[in-house]
Amino acid sequence: MLPDTLHKLPRDERFAYARLLAYMARVDDEITVDELAMFEQRIGTALLSPNQRDQLRRALKNPPTLEECLEGLGPESGRLALRDALLMATADGSIDGDEFDVLQEISDHLGLAENAVTELIEWAKKGYGWMEEGVELLNTLQNG
Amino acid sequence: MFCDDVANLDASERSRYADLLVLIAAADGELVREEIQVLEGLMGRAMVHPEARTSIRKGLHDPHRLSNLLKNAEVQTLRFVLRDGALLAAADGDYDKREVKILKQIAKKAEISNDELKQVFDWVSQGWEWHQTASSVLDLTAFEQNTPE
Repeated sequence: MLPDTLHKLPRDERFAYARLLAYMARVDDEITVDELAMFEQRIGTALLSPNQRDQLRRALKNPPTLEECLEGLGPESGRLALRDALLMATADGSIDGDEFDVLQEISDHLGLAENAVTELIEWAKKGYGWMEEGVELLNTLQNG
Repeated sequence: MFCDDVANLDASERSRYADLLVLIAAADGELVREEIQVLEGLMGRAMVHPEARTSIRKGLHDPHRLSNLLKNAEVQTLRFVLRDGALLAAADGDYDKREVKILKQIAKKAEISNDELKQVFDWVSQGWEWHQTASSVLDLTAFEQNTPE
């Protein structure tokens, strides 16, 4: 939706990035339509092949372990995966305890600052505010 | 990046939405990876069926006629296209005049004035600024892009 550096990463890291999102989508054992739409958006943005996309959709039903997901990630792809995993976790309106723990585990694996996840949550809130403004803008135009 | 009602449009309107985005992406005669990335993301978010996406992508090289796509279009679809088309047109860092021309034609059909369209462009700029602030939290070295003008 907004331009990203994801496409500059090697293809195998983009695939690892998307596998982590598949893992994240299943942390709370249920996938909402919003999470699914966001997952589809992110694998589209990652410019993966149709075959890889199919593999990832299957991974939603049978997700890899977190360790397997983290293995394939480099420093940059890992950070982008953390950022977008957090956005996915918030897609249904809130981050539950299990999701927060996973995000913290990813952040620790990447060696980020202790408060990185908390700061990212604040960043995500601002983003949802921006998106909401866009929806309100469309509504205003619709009523105008 | 965020979800909204685009995915709730009828399948035919979602195809129209994607076809119009393709038209905007192809407008300046040059497809850059940033545009394809945003386009693929928007088609994914709209939950366009994978097989339909294959056919829609063909429009990048052989675009539909704008007048055909606007015919009988639902206003709600056109408004989503304007918002997301502005995001797409900004993907390579600036708005090409051919992209803006198409957006203005869609806006006219959707009964949106140029001043209102400007508000959409401003909203896009704010989104870019927000998105880039993640780099300071995550120290993303390759994340420097200028806000579209």
